[in-house]
Amino acid sequence: MTTETGQPGGDPTEAIPTEASPAAPMPAAPAASNWAAPVSRLAVGVVPTDALNLNVAGRRLAGPVQGFGQLWQKTYRVRLTGADVTPAAVIRTWKEHFGDFWPKGNHFYGPLTSLQPGEVALLNLALPGKMTLSTGVLVIFADDESFAFMTPEGHQFASFITFSSYADDGVAVVQIQALLRASDPLYELSMPIVAQRTEDRFWNDTLWALAASFGAADVTVEMERVCVDHRRQWRYAGNIRQNAAIRTALYKLTHPRAWFHHSGDA
Amino acid sequence: MPASRFETEVRLEAGIAVVLMRGDIDREAESGLAAAYLAAGDASVILLDFTAVGYINSTGIALIVRFLADGRRDRREIRACALSPHYTEIFELTRLSDYMHIFDDAASATAVATSEMTGGRS
Repeated sequence: MTTETGQPGGDPTEAIPTEASPAAPMPAAPAASNWAAPVSRLAVGVVPTDALNLNVAGRRLAGPVQGFGQLWQKTYRVRLTGADVTPAAVIRTWKEHFGDFWPKGNHFYGPLTSLQPGEVALLNLALPGKMTLSTGVLVIFADDESFAFMTPEGHQFASFITFSSYADDGVAVVQIQALLRASDPLYELSMPIVAQRTEDRFWNDTLWALAASFGAADVTVEMERVCVDHRRQWRYAGNIRQNAAIRTALYKLTHPRAWFHHSGDA
Repeated sequence: MPASRFETEVRLEAGIAVVLMRGDIDREAESGLAAAYLAAGDASVILLDFTAVGYINSTGIALIVRFLADGRRDRREIRACALSPHYTEIFELTRLSDYMHIFDDAASATAVATSEMTGGRS
């Protein structure tokens, strides 16, 4: 296990504007359930004009058991010292303004109100070299203290990611925990070079921005990274056929107008 | 509704380790599940029995995935039984059901294990 602490790269208080769209028309979750209903393929609803909508509609979900690379458990945690806020209030705000806390240049097109189980959100993520990764997530779970996403086929990571908050010694602690494998061999190759660091920086900056929005003092984001399974799942090497980064790049090459969509516009 | 404390009971039956889980599977269940994995000894098959499980949240499902990954790493098969219809839906949603043998109850799971031990002779 490695434990690291970090500081944000840019000005985390410079949150991106909210760019939400109505939720995709997914099947409703069962009554009184905090879980989404099972879905065989993802559907996308209304898409904002500035969003690049690729690699989500018609895709199946892919969790860590369907990924190719080594299995990692990554935990990012921050204490909201000095902030007079409850864990439930943190989660409520986070669900309502999820994309606002993302690093500049990355766009989350979620529901206008609050994240709910069964909703699909589009993601336009900035990659090195002004490239864009167009993908999405399904909100698989949400309650008062946490919510969770699962990624579709083609996403960089086949993963579950849980966002939660709890009280510790009277202080609200905010945590992001991801269980992930790189989806295919190409993504796996990039893990030690750039993907791990980019992912860590992304969530570090997000937590820093969230903590700052609540007026927390002495913000330090703690990170733990554990390799749960060193073996690669070669039976999923064929996932590369749905690699969202490759497909997004090819799409933009063949559709010049797509360059006017968000493309790492930092 | 207050959270129900998570506990496990591990027994060997028909050559498999049966982990009877009680309570809610959430963040508090992490150490209990890890202890159950160790208590399963060197059984090549571990059966997770959901008969007495209350609430499962997303962290709980992540713990099950983690349990599955530990099993894969150690070349042990993880099976499940006694999922309620709601938990069956969660396993379908998260695609855990693509990866695990799921049985109606512990008796049918151990019957299959017995059959496997005897090479299918009944």
